Amino acid sequence: DSHIQYERVGADVTMKCGSMDWDAAVTWTANGTDIDESHLNGSYLILKNVDLSQSGQYSCYEGSSWHLKYQTYLRVGTPPKEPVLMCRSNNYPKGFYCSWHLPTPTYIPNSFNISVIHGTKDMVCEKDAIPKNRCHIRYIQLFSTVKYKVTLTVTNALGKNFTTLTFDEFAIVKPDPPESVVAKPVPNNPRRLEVSWQNPSSWPDPESFPLKFFLRYRPLILDQWQHVELSDGTSHTITDAYAGKEYIIQVAAKDNDIGTWSDWSVAVHATPWTEEPKHLTTEAQITETTSASTSSFMAPPTTKICDKGAVVGSGAVAVCWTAGLVVAAYSVLFI
Amino acid sequence: STGDSWGIFTFLCAALCNLPALPALNCSEELGAGQSIQQTYDLTRYLEHQLRTLAGTYLNYLGPPFNEPDFNPPRLARVERVPSATVDLDLWRGLTDNARLAANYRAYSRLLCYLRVLDGQVGTAELRHRLAHFCASLQGLVLSIGGVMSSLGYPLPTGPAGPPAPPGAPVAPNDFLKKMDDFWLLKELQTWLWRSAKDFNRLKKKVPPAVVTLRLEARGF
Repeated sequence: DSHIQYERVGADVTMKCGSMDWDAAVTWTANGTDIDESHLNGSYLILKNVDLSQSGQYSCYEGSSWHLKYQTYLRVGTPPKEPVLMCRSNNYPKGFYCSWHLPTPTYIPNSFNISVIHGTKDMVCEKDAIPKNRCHIRYIQLFSTVKYKVTLTVTNALGKNFTTLTFDEFAIVKPDPPESVVAKPVPNNPRRLEVSWQNPSSWPDPESFPLKFFLRYRPLILDQWQHVELSDGTSHTITDAYAGKEYIIQVAAKDNDIGTWSDWSVAVHATPWTEEPKHLTTEAQITETTSASTSSFMAPPTTKICDKGAVVGSGAVAVCWTAGLVVAAYSVLFI
Repeated sequence: STGDSWGIFTFLCAALCNLPALPALNCSEELGAGQSIQQTYDLTRYLEHQLRTLAGTYLNYLGPPFNEPDFNPPRLARVERVPSATVDLDLWRGLTDNARLAANYRAYSRLLCYLRVLDGQVGTAELRHRLAHFCASLQGLVLSIGGVMSSLGYPLPTGPAGPPAPPGAPVAPNDFLKKMDDFWLLKELQTWLWRSAKDFNRLKKKVPPAVVTLRLEARGF
């Protein structure tokens, strides 16, 4: 006769040797090791104030015949504390996901049940295989005025607990960080760094739901970040870098209109271009000549506002046109 | 009697809501469609920002539970008078430019109407001032949308800007339900403003570039 027994940390546990009488002669073992008689009360095993280390297999043998009369697996644990639940839409407008965890371990198996109510409708949150403790929901309707109510219940053999989140569709929108952030020096420009990145791949429709970006950068030797907010485009040229200093750069994303900023992207490092000293080997000299000849064909740098399809608005367009005219005049002089 | 108050309500709405249609036609000649889409978008963002302050003040005026942050009442099965921004996802994606603009135009015309009635009823001077300011900005939004529609050659939606509820349906029969109506009005307005930002984002991408270039040349660039 073998089963599992769950008990709380700190509890007093009494184990009976199956159907044996109280005054029967028995021997108890814990994980194969004999247990001292001082823990016995007749044929009952008494464990006071159990702790986690006392989890294990307990067996009871009849005194002389060594017949196995009873076996149980003791698992010491705790009832669940209030779980931590988080819901987020990183793929707006497709839907959202919720993920959860327990703040402290219970040391025994737990089961989770999640319910999502939208107004009067029950919605099914499909559990993800990976990662565990996560489920996702697809939006059927968009721009809803009714809040979503998500309740997570966690149950184990020693108790249960739950938590609830109530939110508006718009409040939980938070994209994943931008991907493939690349920072490169700009040849012959000792104070510039060219940064480019991509929309997070989880964001399904950047055309209709454009993202804006926040870039931060600092030289490694300083603690103070500099920030640039960009409402358009996936690249930016830093023009005020300290010459020769290595920089750390990160980018974050946000839906243009709703929700919150993503976490910061993976950090990239870059150092602005520096001129090679002339007295180095011929190899370096060849590199220098090559870069010098290509640079004469480079157009003068223009303001980034104009590079990515001009924002249709009078202010931005005015700048774009002015810069365009300047470049046009400049190139005419050079024909 | 409820019949009388309904009659008054309808009259008020009819009187206050006949403004949006006319001036839009005059404004449209000046603006290129591309520019006015951007302006309309900017206006929705501005209004959304304004609404946050207005809603906070108004809900405090209504008092608890309306001003509690986790107040989450069920939608009562009353006649849906306030236009809802909620829409099926695929349907929203598939809207033509005309339908998209018209939905916005109709919604804000009616919301403006309801807000103006509200304005006539509130007690405090601060609230009246805020509401009046907001209504003026909202009126600007309606005109702006009308301007975009005209410049793209779409007819302005006709029909009454007032409540379409069947005659005889009472105004909220008690104070609490009236406050609930106000609460939902503000909620729908907020949701519409969030939706419009997305509507106008989509329109921004789809405005024919030829229209934009023509207008810019006319402005002497």
